[in-house]
Amino acid sequence: MKTLISNIKNLFHFNNKREALDKIVKLVFLLATIISASFIVIITVFIAEEGIKPFITDNNGIGRVDFWKFITGTTWLEGTTFKSNLYGVGYIIVNTLYIAFLSLLIALPIGVLTALFIAKIAPKKLSETLRTIIELLAAIPSIVYGLFGSGVLLPMIYNLAKSFGVQSPGGNSVLATVFVLVLMILPTITALSEVAIRSVGKEIEQGSLALGATKTQTNFKVILTSAKSGIFSSAILGIGRALGEATAVSLVAGNSRTGPNFGVFDITSTLTSTMLQGLKETIGIDYDIRFSVGIILMIVILITNRGLNYVKRKIGNVDVK
Amino acid sequence: MSSKRKIIDKLLQITTYFSAIFVVLILSLIFIFVIKNGYTLINWGLITNDYHAQFYNGGIEEITSYSNTDKPDFLTDNDYYSEKWGIAFSDDIDREGKTVIVVSYVAIDSPLNNMFDKNNTDNLDFKIENGNIVTSIKFYDKPSALSMNGAKKMIEALDQENEFREIVFSSLGGGIRGSLITTFYVIGLTLIFALPVGIFTAIYLNEFAKKNRFTNFIRGMIEMLTGVPSIIFGLMGLAVFVPLTIKYTPATSANILSGSLTLAVILLPVIIRSTEESLKVVPDDFRQASLALGANNTQTTFKVVLRSALPGILTATLLSIGRIIGESAALIFAVGTAVKDEISIFGKSTTLAVHIWSLMTDEPANIELASTISIIILATVLFLNLLIKLISRNYMKRINQGG
Amino acid sequence: MENSVFTISNLNLHYGTFQALNNINIDIEKNKVTALIGPSGCGKSTFLRCLNRMNDLIDKCKISGNVLYHSEDVYQKNYDVISLRTKVGMVFQKPNPFPMTIFDNVAYGPRCQGLKNKNQLYKIVESSLKKAALWEEVKDRLKESAMGLSGGQQQRLCIARAIAMEPEVILMDEPTSALDPIATLKIEELINDLKKNYAIVIVTHSMQQAARISDNTAFFLSGELIEYNQTDVVFTAPKESKTEDYITGRFG
Repeated sequence: MKTLISNIKNLFHFNNKREALDKIVKLVFLLATIISASFIVIITVFIAEEGIKPFITDNNGIGRVDFWKFITGTTWLEGTTFKSNLYGVGYIIVNTLYIAFLSLLIALPIGVLTALFIAKIAPKKLSETLRTIIELLAAIPSIVYGLFGSGVLLPMIYNLAKSFGVQSPGGNSVLATVFVLVLMILPTITALSEVAIRSVGKEIEQGSLALGATKTQTNFKVILTSAKSGIFSSAILGIGRALGEATAVSLVAGNSRTGPNFGVFDITSTLTSTMLQGLKETIGIDYDIRFSVGIILMIVILITNRGLNYVKRKIGNVDVK
Repeated sequence: MSSKRKIIDKLLQITTYFSAIFVVLILSLIFIFVIKNGYTLINWGLITNDYHAQFYNGGIEEITSYSNTDKPDFLTDNDYYSEKWGIAFSDDIDREGKTVIVVSYVAIDSPLNNMFDKNNTDNLDFKIENGNIVTSIKFYDKPSALSMNGAKKMIEALDQENEFREIVFSSLGGGIRGSLITTFYVIGLTLIFALPVGIFTAIYLNEFAKKNRFTNFIRGMIEMLTGVPSIIFGLMGLAVFVPLTIKYTPATSANILSGSLTLAVILLPVIIRSTEESLKVVPDDFRQASLALGANNTQTTFKVVLRSALPGILTATLLSIGRIIGESAALIFAVGTAVKDEISIFGKSTTLAVHIWSLMTDEPANIELASTISIIILATVLFLNLLIKLISRNYMKRINQGG
Repeated sequence: MENSVFTISNLNLHYGTFQALNNINIDIEKNKVTALIGPSGCGKSTFLRCLNRMNDLIDKCKISGNVLYHSEDVYQKNYDVISLRTKVGMVFQKPNPFPMTIFDNVAYGPRCQGLKNKNQLYKIVESSLKKAALWEEVKDRLKESAMGLSGGQQQRLCIARAIAMEPEVILMDEPTSALDPIATLKIEELINDLKKNYAIVIVTHSMQQAARISDNTAFFLSGELIEYNQTDVVFTAPKESKTEDYITGRFG
């Protein structure tokens, strides 16, 4: 506190014009910094303000939305839009987590194995090429993945479902959503895991080989274990992306109005796709409720992040065979 | 080594090969799909045309002279030509499968170049153009020629007459000029907002801030922005920047300005981190030498430090541009999804990425145009990435050579 | 020689165009400690790595000549390198335990060879740690991470790890240069003990160490083997003047 006050005092004491200019410029820099730092607060405050509205106001006569029912509900909206206040997001939370973790489960092995291939097995030229391919995949905007999913995956899944005797609405399904998300988080996981693998010390690798282990044994038993921490970080980042992905998911998910939906050919909704649904004309409670869903999304991401970071620290201490 | 061991060994190796192949396959599939569906629409008209089809009713006043041009060689037998009027029609099918009549050639001396717009008499230089779709031609003393009767019949009907009452036609639409211009506006505005704030923040954090808890706190707050999905930024834009711009500018709804402000916030962490990285690389000796020569902090910063950090800032800018071009979720909320041909920064519009979203959520989804736009986006992003690689490589070379 | 585990003749090694080893001829004796001394860059570590073919990991490394392990040239085509390395173990300059438990570190080698039986593994781990003089210090924390051990303990762990493979030869590349004097002493005592059962080849920067613990000493200089004899001979009555110069500290 004392230093703060003396700093402010110093601010107004200068010797000549150049020093004054200097101080003003420094002030401008400081201002920029404060602006940058304050956005996270602005985001939280304003979204919370809009998002709380359905729960505490009367919503123009429709009635308050019950928070508990909201959190645990298994149907998005009972009754007609703009006339009902029975919104439920509970099943969507379950759907979102289910899909995100499923995507991680599939993308993690593929990504780590590819990273291993690039870092340790492929000859140099091939490694370079593959690394560039991964970078390209990472740079593709999510909307293009959505287009790809919509144009290629949906028809394929529709036919696949038909061969199982399941009538799927155009192919929109849990399977399509998971597939698209796997494609989208794969580059992140691969790139970060590759860095982690490459940074495992050479002496560890040599130590293993000197004991008579094969290259493959060395790769899988020692190098991957040493890169554990980095690989786990890549997984955390990947799942963050999976939870927050909006446009691509909304094109393949199908917008289920009740749930939760676990079957591979079921249509589904995620928190993000719900926020985007029917955005073109909407006002009033239907508009405000999207902010509420946004709050829920932020909370889900926060909890997942905290949880996974906790697990990551635990893994760092316990050693795996 | 036992053979069982050998088999397991080989199997594990094979899994890594398969994973790598999978990744390559996916990239190829995406590119192949996008190119296959989109390349048919690539032409100059795509970039210059409006998206929404415009409908016109054209009339002719006094015809001083008729056309004198022969049928050009590049027209085929499927183009039906009228020498008198200097215009050629051909048959085509629109996206929904209906037959339409398309103007495939207009001669320079065609009287149809000097029509008047029946809906807007102030409209000078009104004419029918190559690529327009003719719905019908209404005559004075005979029934109208309709598009469903085909191009040949329409040309014959027109050729027989020296005047007509009205020609109903429309422009093609489906052009992305509006979205292209919007994208440029958004890139420009976003950078104008984000670069100064981001660079100044980086300068403050790296050059002036002391290492104490307050600074760490500030850094933490900025780092938190990276974990927020872009759709949440979109909500913030809707809740903060849209009302702000409505209040203080001519805007009456979500607009390009509010969208750019939103994107600027998204890009702040990227720009700050990138700039800080390149600032860190500048050796302290530079700063000390400058200060020892009597320059104050500001001069040192601007003249010495920033100059050395320029490549890093350039990289951050290119990265940001790539991110802006690809961003969709945030802009859907902060700018809206209405595709427009008249662009104002205080009005709604769509960037290329949001235009794709709009196309895909229509019934039926316009996959061809969406793919074409994707080709443009992918090509640009690829190009930007290559540029970034080149710059970093040169930068690394310069650093290692003692620049 | 009858007592040789390794017979090396006419060994030449090139890294690209640079010749690192020039016509090396030497026999390594069983159950003896052979020290390799010489100034930095003289090729002693390079030579050491020829014995377990760890030089294979370096690109552009060309070798000619014979390295016979029990009369079989280890550089011949289709030679089972993996198996060679189980019999010729290596301890590195900087201790490099795997980021796993102490138990898993020692059990790593046997596990790679397919041993799964928990009891057998435990026995091997216990006996290896005992032979490496580490058992008493870690017997209660076998399931803790190896990274929590001190430098000296980690190095002994690496020795135990090598011993677990029941090798015939243990190669040591400056094993104590990263350790403090007390840890160094412990390792030297250990080596003295180990030679009863294993042939040890140790590269060392310290002549005093070579003099203390080795039975035979080989002096390398610029890629050539200048002199090779019993340690007390090399240190008290060297035949070559270059050897004498090095030992008396005139260079290196």
